[in-house]
Amino acid sequence: MVNRRDAIKKNKLVSSMKGEGTLLVLLVVLILFPFVMSFITGTGMNEGVTKFWQGQLIIFFIMAVFAMSYDLLMGFGGILSFGHAASFGGGAYTFALLMKHVVPPITHNYRITIGSVNITDAIVLIVVFLVVLLVSILIGLLFAATSIRLKGAYFAMLTLALGSAMHMLVKATDFHKWTGADEGLHGVPVPVWLNPTQNRLTVYFVSLAFLIICYLLMKRMVNSPTGRVIIANRENEDRMRMIGYNPVTYRTIAFVSASIFAGFAGALYSIWNTSATPTMVSAVMTVNALIITILGGMGTLVGAILGAAIMQVISQFFYTWFGARWPLVFGVLFILIVMFLPYGIIGTWRMKKHDLKQFFEQGKRIIAQKKTLNQEEEA
Amino acid sequence: MKPKRKKLITTLLVAVAVIAVIAGLYLYAGKEPFIRTTLSGLTLGSLFFMVAAGLSLIFGLMDVLNFAHGALFMLGAYMGWQLYTNPTFIFGMLPTVTAFTCGVLVSPVIKPFLIRWELPEQWQKTLPKIAYVLAIVLLILAFLNFNIMELASTAMVAATTTMVGNPLAEITPQEPLAQFWYRPVLLIISGLLVAFASSKPGVKTEFAPKEDLLKKAVPSILLFALTIIATLFRESAPIAILLMNGNLRFLIAIFVAVAFGFMFGALIEITLIRPLYVRPFFIVLMTLGLSFVIRELVQLLWDPLAYQMVRPPLFAQSGKAASLLEWLQNGNATINISGVTFPTYRLFVILLGFLMFVIVTIIMTKSRLGMIIRAGVQDPQMVEALGINVKRVFTFVFAFGVALATLGGIGAGPFLPIQPLMGDQFQMLGFITVVIGGMGSYVGAFVGAIILGMGRAFGDYFALKLSLSPAVSEASTVIIMVIVLLIKPQGLFGKKE
Amino acid sequence: MKEKIPREDILIVDNIHTFIGQFHILEGVSVRVPKGSITVLLGRNGAGKTTTLKSILGLTPPQEGKVIFEGAEIQGKRAFNVANLGIGYVPEHRAIFRALSVLENLKLAERKKGDFERSADFIFELFPDLKRLSKLPGNHLSGGQQQMLAVARALVPENKLLLIDEPSEGLAPILIQQMMEAIRVLSEKTTILLVEQNFIMASQLAQQFVIIDDGQSVRDGSMTDLVNDTGMIHQYLGASIKTRKELEMEHEAQA
Repeated sequence: MVNRRDAIKKNKLVSSMKGEGTLLVLLVVLILFPFVMSFITGTGMNEGVTKFWQGQLIIFFIMAVFAMSYDLLMGFGGILSFGHAASFGGGAYTFALLMKHVVPPITHNYRITIGSVNITDAIVLIVVFLVVLLVSILIGLLFAATSIRLKGAYFAMLTLALGSAMHMLVKATDFHKWTGADEGLHGVPVPVWLNPTQNRLTVYFVSLAFLIICYLLMKRMVNSPTGRVIIANRENEDRMRMIGYNPVTYRTIAFVSASIFAGFAGALYSIWNTSATPTMVSAVMTVNALIITILGGMGTLVGAILGAAIMQVISQFFYTWFGARWPLVFGVLFILIVMFLPYGIIGTWRMKKHDLKQFFEQGKRIIAQKKTLNQEEEA
Repeated sequence: MKPKRKKLITTLLVAVAVIAVIAGLYLYAGKEPFIRTTLSGLTLGSLFFMVAAGLSLIFGLMDVLNFAHGALFMLGAYMGWQLYTNPTFIFGMLPTVTAFTCGVLVSPVIKPFLIRWELPEQWQKTLPKIAYVLAIVLLILAFLNFNIMELASTAMVAATTTMVGNPLAEITPQEPLAQFWYRPVLLIISGLLVAFASSKPGVKTEFAPKEDLLKKAVPSILLFALTIIATLFRESAPIAILLMNGNLRFLIAIFVAVAFGFMFGALIEITLIRPLYVRPFFIVLMTLGLSFVIRELVQLLWDPLAYQMVRPPLFAQSGKAASLLEWLQNGNATINISGVTFPTYRLFVILLGFLMFVIVTIIMTKSRLGMIIRAGVQDPQMVEALGINVKRVFTFVFAFGVALATLGGIGAGPFLPIQPLMGDQFQMLGFITVVIGGMGSYVGAFVGAIILGMGRAFGDYFALKLSLSPAVSEASTVIIMVIVLLIKPQGLFGKKE
Repeated sequence: MKEKIPREDILIVDNIHTFIGQFHILEGVSVRVPKGSITVLLGRNGAGKTTTLKSILGLTPPQEGKVIFEGAEIQGKRAFNVANLGIGYVPEHRAIFRALSVLENLKLAERKKGDFERSADFIFELFPDLKRLSKLPGNHLSGGQQQMLAVARALVPENKLLLIDEPSEGLAPILIQQMMEAIRVLSEKTTILLVEQNFIMASQLAQQFVIIDDGQSVRDGSMTDLVNDTGMIHQYLGASIKTRKELEMEHEAQA
């Protein structure tokens, strides 16, 4: 008995490793990518094609985190929010505003040192990220608050309106001095080691690490008891209320955590662009996250990563293939996916995996039978 | 009696508050600015209503949040503008569309026979697939070498080259009939194949009575006749339209936009939305994708530019009319309304909006259809159980809603720049209107639209007067929405669930 | 089928299976409804009685099995087609249209023009209250009036079969009497398939019964047999349901 249980345990371990195996391989590939690319093309780390593709992958990492945070809301929480870009843009603008208008006077006038090491920049950067965290939490709470009284379509509409209110705020000419209104904030002073033009490789690894950490955190969260309640709320809120879980509390947790991830993704995006523009707050950004999540598969997290990768590739190559009107092709593709692959690539794969396996095993069996038949005939 | 009294008191309070706000604005702004701003507000409100009424009915009956509504509004403007400026594109495409539809509409006639056909099970599945593939092949063959882009560019050229008030453009030569005729023929066959496949030959569980076959054949026969006529007059019809009086042409443009909206709406509902009623969440995504596609298609056909539609003669003559009668006689561009100079076209838009409200009200309260819709908003299953084909009503309501939106689009055409993104803001405001008014209530949509229109107009007025940022008027809509939702989460006229 | 059926069944439900979402609600329900009588579906809450009615009508189409109405298979047809064959439905919870007036509610039920004019006298004779209230919107009616309207609505067109779901639910005793009387009058005109929790009402009205338990039809037969079989009643319908005899005894004890 004991042996058998051990065997089962071992099997479980193996199967869970198998699930992550592909991801581990992918991770290794992504870590080696800049070096291999530079080796193959013969260009330096910080120049030419290698640098360009690092940039593309950085955008992919950031968008993947943003889409995963959206998946947390939509796929796991069953909450359709059209204002998620408010968190992303909120993070981006908070970071850019602080770095541009608040940080320079501080670093100019004060100096914090440990012994002879100047740690002013590091401390300030940490504080800035703490403020980003705070703003993201506040935005998450705002959205959670609206969901207390409103349900379904009314809620979706209100999130749309809230998101557009944020967009208006950012674009308002009254704050031109601070936000740059329509043009946005440009030339955000970023510490040299994080500057995407000078030290792209660092930014590359920082965003890769960011993606991995966020993925692990979200996966942990989804599998935690809290995450399970959030998922159960999606299925039947009344039942959960009867069991004694307050749906509002768990919805708030979902909103706030999704908002935090999106906020940090936004901040990183503003580092990468050294700017913050109204587009980052607009509904276009939310719809992007939505499309990515649907493409990869709702409620899977990995789907969001895959979707972000596909989106990045599509936006790179479709232009060369189809010309300026490539979104038309993409739109038709999207409609087809919604009609025929509603669970996205990962979702459909997970559903069909079993069937495929059976199909292959059947094939194997048939081949084996034939082989034995042949052998018998030969004999 | 108590709830009645409570209702009376709230109505009184609301009436007093509304009058107080109006009086306050009047006293603050003064007579002329007040009237001017009110009229601008009503113009916007009329347009908002035409967008919101459809959204509200569609959501109320089918729980569909139509995110393509703004794109369809824009498409309505484009269609009307096409017909008004140079209808070569519309008439060039017409025979192909009617030919295909004529074929597809044979379906109800042949279905009763096809489903009684003894067919082995494997053929029941493969035959439709073969038919669909063949239909697509024929479709591609029919449109091969058909220069749609050039047809589309005619109006573009017309819009950029002609003088104001004389929109007659050069007629671009088209394919000669001897070369063109095979396209409609192929399309009819393709449509017939689709009709064959969608009738599910051999499937016994389908239901189709053999009654009234002649009646069911009528639309198809009519379309067949129309196809022949449209093919023959492909080149001369645009000229005839362009030689018409501008006002008449504008009337036809409105009609074309509405008819197009109705048919396109029906097509969308039947082909794209109907299969997704089992997965309501995906309908939202579907309409999002659809709006994307429509916008890109328009940019592909007519480039991402903004066009200015010429105002019809009735609204174009310079000079100010002193009265309604004088305007109708001379066709002045502006009119004097108790001391305020106001563009006559905007007055027309206000009238159009109110007319639509009256028409919608009559349909909803007096007709059997309206009764079905009101009942369906509450419980579509029960309506079906009474023996009413609810899906057909769904299709009608969706088509009707889209037609209202396209009407709004062509209504906005002559005073807003016609461009691919023109519908987006209207869609956003339409949604807010619906939320304020209450989903599923056309009266709510009307009241909400007026409130929002006024909010925008007075927001602009105050922003100008107090030199605030123009964001104030934009933000006013969101603020109104939040206030309404805090007081009544179901919207002003929404029913409690 | 060559052997002759002794009685004529207007409706035969043959071993139907119905899923709602992923839930297997009906796992083999068979019901026979003889023409010109009242048949009642009995069973505990959630046993699948309402789903059976909805499956017959096509609102929740059965995945397996057959539904035969007047000799023709109707399973898989859309609900409006089934209804138009002459099947009226009175749903549970008095699902009348609250936004419509009483008159509109009745007119909506017309299948052919003039249905309402023809049946108006009969309906208003059966439910005189409705004539008085005909202008009022549905949400202003009391519970009992709403239930009457729901039944009346099914009488507007000429129906060969009426499916009535829990007509006595939440009604005052005096209204239950009135409702029973109305159903008895109706049964002279059409066949009725009834779902009823109130066992006394069911036992007084119906000639046949079918017991549904856990999504399966477990027993059927004539009502007179069931009334005398306390064991079966307690097994399938729960101890809370009392036979008439027990109730009478209780009543006497209370007095």
